[in-house]
Amino acid sequence: MGKDIKQIAIYGKGGIGKSTTSSNISAALAKLGCRVMQVGCDPKSDSTNTLRDGKYIPTVLDTLRAKGKVRADEIVFEGFNGVYCVEAGGPAPGVGCAGRGIITAVEQLKILKVFEDLNIDIVLYDVLGDVVCGGFAVPIREGIAKHVFTVTSSDFMAIYAANNLFAGIQKYSASGGALLGGVIANSISAPYSKSIVDDFAARTGTRVIEYVPRSMTVTQAELQGKTVVESAPDSDQAKVYLRLAQNIANHNQSQAPSPLPVAELHEWAAGWASELLKMESGEVREAAHGI
Amino acid sequence: MLSSIESPRWTCALGGALAAAAALPRTIPVMHSGPGCAANFAWTQNGAAGLQVAGRCAGLSFPATNMQEGEIVFGGAERLHEQLRHTLQIMDGDLYFVLTGCIPEVIGDDVESVVSGYAAAGKPVIMASTAGFKGNSYFGYEQVLKAVFQKIVRPGSAAKRNLVNIWGIPPMMDVFWRGNLRGVEELLGLLGFRVNTFFGGQASLPSIANAAAARLNIVLSDVYGVEAAELFRDIHGVDFITSPLPLGAAASDRFLRRIGRRLEVPAKKIETIIQRENKRRYDYLEPIIDVYNDMEAQRYAIVIGDANYACALADFLAEDMGWLPELTVITDVLADDIKAGLLRQREGRSLIPAQKIIFRSGSREILEAAADDWTPSNGRYSKRSQPVFVLGSSLDRNLAQTLGAGHLSVSFPVSNRAVLNRGYTGYGGGLLLMEDVISAFILAR
Repeated sequence: MGKDIKQIAIYGKGGIGKSTTSSNISAALAKLGCRVMQVGCDPKSDSTNTLRDGKYIPTVLDTLRAKGKVRADEIVFEGFNGVYCVEAGGPAPGVGCAGRGIITAVEQLKILKVFEDLNIDIVLYDVLGDVVCGGFAVPIREGIAKHVFTVTSSDFMAIYAANNLFAGIQKYSASGGALLGGVIANSISAPYSKSIVDDFAARTGTRVIEYVPRSMTVTQAELQGKTVVESAPDSDQAKVYLRLAQNIANHNQSQAPSPLPVAELHEWAAGWASELLKMESGEVREAAHGI
Repeated sequence: MLSSIESPRWTCALGGALAAAAALPRTIPVMHSGPGCAANFAWTQNGAAGLQVAGRCAGLSFPATNMQEGEIVFGGAERLHEQLRHTLQIMDGDLYFVLTGCIPEVIGDDVESVVSGYAAAGKPVIMASTAGFKGNSYFGYEQVLKAVFQKIVRPGSAAKRNLVNIWGIPPMMDVFWRGNLRGVEELLGLLGFRVNTFFGGQASLPSIANAAAARLNIVLSDVYGVEAAELFRDIHGVDFITSPLPLGAAASDRFLRRIGRRLEVPAKKIETIIQRENKRRYDYLEPIIDVYNDMEAQRYAIVIGDANYACALADFLAEDMGWLPELTVITDVLADDIKAGLLRQREGRSLIPAQKIIFRSGSREILEAAADDWTPSNGRYSKRSQPVFVLGSSLDRNLAQTLGAGHLSVSFPVSNRAVLNRGYTGYGGGLLLMEDVISAFILAR
């Protein structure tokens, strides 16, 4: 490999806004002048839709299944601002093994040397969030991605998934796997949600690299099948994504996280629950909680 | 808890199931699994069962889905459909038996629904779930039995007073399965019973379908096929009895008395049969008795085998040959209550000398346990337990060599003998076993 390609994996609980965030980061990185590829690692195969006017592209696995062999031009498609889009694909729901599918698809990209041939600077893997089996851990092991960012809201289930991911990263960190770059706090609206994510990041030995507010602009862009960076380039939201992309482009040092043991995580959540209850009942809290 | 088993004496569930399905009459096994499984079973398993590598639709020549990466990612159901469609067209069989390996079970292929579609269309297709990670060959054998009892044996057949079913002798894991089934069939024939053996040349699918008409199920094992017998009883209402493998005369006497009593055969008739059979046996034994004495053919013995063979062989050596089996090694991984049950059977048998029975599965462990008790012989009775003979598997040749002992492979694996129709059950089987044991140590002289 001639140049050092920056390979990044974005994980997070399903529905938390991973693909939206990834696509906006990709679009923003392209705007900043990077040659970017986004690889959707989810059988839903809709990671890159908003980079291509809401359209689906043929997946690596479907093409492989139909033809037995794939060429790069059959699976790599250009999207907004020249972002290269790939969808790993997968089996129909309830059939086969999606995890193995991810492994197969990622292997194909390696075999075809697409990153080198297209002179890619940054690869973003957008991965189904709950690391349910070994297949979904592939981008974070075997030295494929170097840095992992996790998208989470302040909802407990999203944080729970992030904590699981941290456990996965910690497991592979000693054997050359990816390390954690940081947390992307998404859908931050209520003032306390920032404090919750901050607190979680502090306790697990990582940091928040950007706070992405909940925004109507995102909804509007998604409905048009576009990223915010494309459809509302001058909006405040687009500026957030550009800043986030710049942070990621500059990011070099990742670390092994310290996930909380499950019991401790529940205890931590219970602590926050009673804090929130006190706030709701009018007992004023200190400024650190955003009030 | 064992961390590993070196040179285990079995393969996986799929292996045992494949051996069993291939041994069912006019049955075409269809293996839904990856490409390596069949090769493993053909040689590692069937080859080590007295070189019974091939078969009409067995060994390396039978339908299989050979699952590849595409089937793993997208599911293997379609591929199985394709294989079944073609198999039904070109393979001449009366039963098509789908067996699943690890891959479809890990990825969650719904094989049951594929198979039930064919069954609903009137095609004789059944399945058993036999992923290797679920258990060993014996488990696979039991899974096949259960599927047969559930899907092939017709419920509600009119009871027949002179019909019994036998199982508990797993094809290939019992290297002498054909001969052993026939030997037991002959013993029961002496009592006047017709026998469903399910497996082997003498079985037929119509008679298997009619098995619920039997008076009694006789499981020739205290371990293998017992769960299946419970299932048979629950579905078809036929009771069962377990019995040790009747290897040789003394065990056959016991078998006839016990089964005869259970099936209300007059005691006098049973004793007449036993006397006649033993008389016939001694006619054959007489000519060699002087040789036995002059050559000092009595031996101490180390017996190594699975739950069916180990104690049955030790008993045979003690009761039929007057030998001294001092150490018996049972090689299965068994639950404590089953172990205790196997040991209890030996209680109150006057002809069996005091002996040590241990449970060891790894070949090195077995070697070490046995070598602890014996030191190499210089050919004299200098040690308490010399000369010694090892009656076990071909994996135990090293032990025999270490001890300077004679050796015969009887329990699985038997890769240094060819086995066609030989069996050691019954009176005739006992004579064959005696021939083989004596020949083995004569050859080594």
